[in-house]
Amino acid sequence: MSTLQIKDLVASVETKDGRKRILKGVNLTVNSGETHAIMGPNGSGKSTLAYTLAGHPKYEVESGQVLLDGQDLLAMTPDERAKAGLFLAMQYPVEVPGVSMTNFLRTAKTEIDGKAPAIRTWTRELTDAMKRLKMDPKFATRSVNEGFSGGEKKRAEVLQLELLRPKFAVLDETDSGLDVDALRIVSEGVNRAKESTGLGILMVTHYTRILKYIKPDIVHVFADGHFVKTGGPELADELEEQGYDQFLPEGAGSESALA
Amino acid sequence: MAQNTEINIPVADPDDPYAVPAAMPSSADRSPRSFDVDDFAVPTARQEEWRYTPIDRVAEFFEVFEPAGTTTVAVANIDGSPVDAGRVGVARVPMGQAPSGTVSKPTDRIAAVAWNSAREAVVVALHADTDQPVLVDVRGGGMDPDALHLVIVADDGVHADVVVEHHGAARIAEGVEIATGRGSQVSTTFVQEWDRGSKHVGGHRIHVGEGATLRHSMVTLGGDVVRIRMDQDFGGPQGDLNMLGVYFADPGEHIEHRTMVVHNHPECRSRVVYKGALDGEGAHSTWVGNALIEPTAPGTDSYELNRNLVLTPGAIADSEPNLEIENGNIVGAGHASSVGRFDDEELFYLQSRGIPEAEARKLVVRGFFGELVDEIGIGQIADHLMTIIDRRLTRGESEAMTNVLEEK
Repeated sequence: MSTLQIKDLVASVETKDGRKRILKGVNLTVNSGETHAIMGPNGSGKSTLAYTLAGHPKYEVESGQVLLDGQDLLAMTPDERAKAGLFLAMQYPVEVPGVSMTNFLRTAKTEIDGKAPAIRTWTRELTDAMKRLKMDPKFATRSVNEGFSGGEKKRAEVLQLELLRPKFAVLDETDSGLDVDALRIVSEGVNRAKESTGLGILMVTHYTRILKYIKPDIVHVFADGHFVKTGGPELADELEEQGYDQFLPEGAGSESALA
Repeated sequence: MAQNTEINIPVADPDDPYAVPAAMPSSADRSPRSFDVDDFAVPTARQEEWRYTPIDRVAEFFEVFEPAGTTTVAVANIDGSPVDAGRVGVARVPMGQAPSGTVSKPTDRIAAVAWNSAREAVVVALHADTDQPVLVDVRGGGMDPDALHLVIVADDGVHADVVVEHHGAARIAEGVEIATGRGSQVSTTFVQEWDRGSKHVGGHRIHVGEGATLRHSMVTLGGDVVRIRMDQDFGGPQGDLNMLGVYFADPGEHIEHRTMVVHNHPECRSRVVYKGALDGEGAHSTWVGNALIEPTAPGTDSYELNRNLVLTPGAIADSEPNLEIENGNIVGAGHASSVGRFDDEELFYLQSRGIPEAEARKLVVRGFFGELVDEIGIGQIADHLMTIIDRRLTRGESEAMTNVLEEK
């Protein structure tokens, strides 16, 4: 049983117009086995929260704490956070030309586990995981994310989630750009990971459709840099009907808060 | 090469001005060719040829010197067994005794100095097909300036591979001559894995036989200053030249490769692909790729490419492709050059999967070079080179990570 605690997190980003505060006091506790959906309008800071947790250098933490089983994540480099058990499935996975998926995955697995995986079991594990995600075996020999379609990139993210077995996963709009079949396959992968490892999930999303496949225990509304409402799965249905307008500042369009 | 050849420069037809190129003498290959040092001016940064080179760091090679004679050269099969004397002849001959001095002439002052300073030439003569690559092991004997001359000749029709490895500490001016016979298929691979502080200057003069294939690879992974110029021509139609290069520059190092490909016969093909990675403040690489297609070379197919990967800020990669086409009737003549940066997003992505920054850079460099090494197409040599590259990348690293990188 692990716990991820976010306490009064305030973070900003450098923009053309100077430093801009995006996260304005975020508080959240996620336990192993829980699935939290984080929903909110465009530009509310959902993705910033995801990247700040993972340690992207673009975002500067001004104050607050993030603890994983009491360990101070904010004091760690991104790779140390990954080793501590945090995983970020990115909305736009980065292409790394020249590095094969196979080499990348084996290196990551070695770093996370602290020792190289046994060749025979590793190869089988990789092949099986790819098969379940209906990925062409050829992907293993291609460069990381290079030339992958949007859907293929998302599958590759979930493949890593399954193989690296983190304690907590932040899924940043993993549903975006997926057709219905791909959405189902990707969701099944996330559910498998949760079943086998007791993963805690922070699922950042814009739409409710992924929630049909990955059932949230708790739904949060995120607006203007912090959580404004928390409820059960029924909150998602409410948002589906009423939209996010009620959570936006007076007179603000839903795009205006974009960083 | 070019300067002694009588050529008739085609004159443009006023009705079809693009049928032949403009009538003008070659500008890409006007430099002298001579065994005499004094035929070349002392290099300065103002000379086009030397503008990228840190002149003061190679100045000890501007005048003929007494070589220290501490460099050792050993020739064996790559597995360590002795070469079969019936197939591979190894000899030491006085400078200027054939086959030394038969492939063109020195092309710059340092090459002429190397020629006049060296005491003898080490000749590797490939008379018959070899079962495995021949390894010429060159070990530096310290920081007193030394000069070395190597000659690799292949008989007509021979299939053979030669690897020349440089290591240890050295300040060396080295001349290399390579001549391959008609219809031969040869690969020559030169590895520069010098200790820190070493210097290596000089040039290769290369002659590719009629209908022959030569794969010429340079792998330069260490040295304070390395500057190697390669001049090549063809001995007849349908020659095929493939030049590959891999280089890695650390902080403060200057690694320079200059390739001069001359198409002087019809229907020859050349490919020049050099890739380099630079890491750290003051790391400097230079690639100058010249390709000259003479009027005597219709049906030429040539292409040159240079890619640089700058891993950390403060490194400088100079990349200069020059192409001179004096014949309108060719298959192709292309070039491409780029300097790219290992960007923060790539780094963050790899880090977010648990891979520390230093390992992430290594992974990227290994992949960057691996694509090129795979192209060498000779399993034993490709494996050998990846081992050397990994050794370079994992200098003083953990055992576990070395193992990960070694498994393909």
